[in-house]
Amino acid sequence: MVRFLKLYEKIGIFILIVLASIFLGIATPNFLKTDTILNIITQGTYGAIVGFGMVLAITSGGFDLSVDAVVALTSVFLSILIPNIGIPSAIIISILISCFIGFLNGVIITKFGVNPLITTLSMATIVRGVALLIANGKQIPISVTKFTVIGTSKFLGVPIPIYIMVVLFIIFYLLLYQTPLGRHISAVGSNENAARISGLNVVFIKIIVYVLVAFTASINGVIRTSQAMIGIPSMAPGFTLLVITITILGGTSLSGGKGNLVGAVFAGIFISMVYYGLNLIKVQYFYQLLSVGLILIFALFVDGLRQRYLEAARIKGIKV
Amino acid sequence: MDELRSRQLKQKLGLFWGNFGLPLIFILIVIVFSITSPNFATSYNLLSNFGFASYVGIAAIGMTFVIMTGNFDISIGSMLALVGVLGSSFIPKIGGVGGVLSTVAIASFLGFINGIFVTKLRIPAFITTLGMLYVFRSLAYIYTNNVPVYISDRFWLYFGNGKLFGVIPFPILLMVICYLVAYLILRKSPVGRYIIAVGTNAKAAALSGINVDNIKILVFTLLGLFVGIASIVNSANLGAANPGLMGQNYEFQVITAVVLGGTALSGGNGSLGGSLVAALIVTFLGNGMGLMQVNSYWQLVATGLVMIFAVSLNKLKFYLLGQGE
Repeated sequence: MVRFLKLYEKIGIFILIVLASIFLGIATPNFLKTDTILNIITQGTYGAIVGFGMVLAITSGGFDLSVDAVVALTSVFLSILIPNIGIPSAIIISILISCFIGFLNGVIITKFGVNPLITTLSMATIVRGVALLIANGKQIPISVTKFTVIGTSKFLGVPIPIYIMVVLFIIFYLLLYQTPLGRHISAVGSNENAARISGLNVVFIKIIVYVLVAFTASINGVIRTSQAMIGIPSMAPGFTLLVITITILGGTSLSGGKGNLVGAVFAGIFISMVYYGLNLIKVQYFYQLLSVGLILIFALFVDGLRQRYLEAARIKGIKV
Repeated sequence: MDELRSRQLKQKLGLFWGNFGLPLIFILIVIVFSITSPNFATSYNLLSNFGFASYVGIAAIGMTFVIMTGNFDISIGSMLALVGVLGSSFIPKIGGVGGVLSTVAIASFLGFINGIFVTKLRIPAFITTLGMLYVFRSLAYIYTNNVPVYISDRFWLYFGNGKLFGVIPFPILLMVICYLVAYLILRKSPVGRYIIAVGTNAKAAALSGINVDNIKILVFTLLGLFVGIASIVNSANLGAANPGLMGQNYEFQVITAVVLGGTALSGGNGSLGGSLVAALIVTFLGNGMGLMQVNSYWQLVATGLVMIFAVSLNKLKFYLLGQGE
């Protein structure tokens, strides 16, 4: 059982993808076309990108429920700034504002000692309120057509968002597995007290993590806004659930210390396949929400089971 | 000597805040809103506000238990909507009394499921209930096809709109009964001591022979039961059970009330009375801002700020009392 669970940890998500592919391949002839596959992968990148940030947060033993609101805030700022100061500076400023929100999250969590869940849940309400206030509750169309390039155009036949994801993946991969900061994040997540005693600056590390989560959420906001060409203050409802589902389905353990970025990418693609399948049978939007909720509970179920067995094995003296 | 004196001063401050802080804030809010909006201090508005507060207060009682064991439940807003649409849709078949009873029974069962997931699979409560939040809400949508269930049954409607002696809203009585039951459970029965023991130190509790899992399942089930009652009150107030609108931000109001009421998020002892007074504060704040015609987006920002403020205040209290959270 232990060996099976270890194996599942590594390749479970691939098995799910293979099963889903077989199912979709039988269900519809359209599935095996390059366009469809690229489309599914592109849809999958949106969640995966923010999943990278969430992997870091959960690895550090934290949590971020404010990502959906940050996406919306980015969207609103972009729609207001782009006509005034041009595309590049608008993107940079919107991302910086989001990073500042991540910074606030980090400060409240570390300096005030407020539970991460409560902090980011409150921050989500506040940020959503601010986005609605700035946009006055309305959607703001963007007329600068060049901006649409980021979300919709292709380079060498591959959509731009996929490139963005690959670049972010490399950065986050190097950061988590190849730098001291990455090891420190894992250390804080496995045992915060031990990390503090061995001289790590836990406050700094946690703040960086929350800034990075907000950064990835902001990138997601840029891509979405570029596709919609509208600033939407109510953008991305329920997106946080999707991101957390992707993270946990991808094999990042809730107990902290162990992050799995590769898993996040494939979990994002898997969810995107589920959505594609649900669209095929033309069910309402609510079923998408239900499916993500159920997948999350399934992933949690597996994660819980895995931890129980590993713990039992450890007590029996089996090396894990 | 100085150190001793400053410690005594701190303790006095902490105790003062713990005993009188909330009622003072409440009185302050009532005074401020009475001055700023003339419609606030009418007996009609105040009484109906107490009625609305019971919608938050009833669930806050259950949430106090859950938070005392060191857990959370953020699925209660969706649960409120799901059991509301289910129960009210049964009325034509099994009558108002049956509808009310089935609502409470289903809600308790959903709470029970949450408890099973948290204990038997050892999944942290907030993430289990985060998943459930979406499952419950989407089931409510799917069950009703996003069409509100209108309620005309008089027994059901009495829960929200009934008046005792023609004056006192029935929900207030309901909240008082819930409070008394919870108080007896917490302070006069062994179960209450077990709950505190589990929240203070789950390992020690388990070693001294308390079945920790059962206690946790019990508090989640109790919370479900209270949410079921609140769901009847809320849907009766509105005259319909709306799968999308019922219980939006509900978990937020309830958790804010419990935290503001002085229950530590890390578990341990809690204050039922504090939760109730805080539920009044949260409700009166919302109503007062509404009467002052504060933009609803500002209200959203304000609720978030109040939550962070409440947790920080709590931290301060524990720091002053030298207990550390």
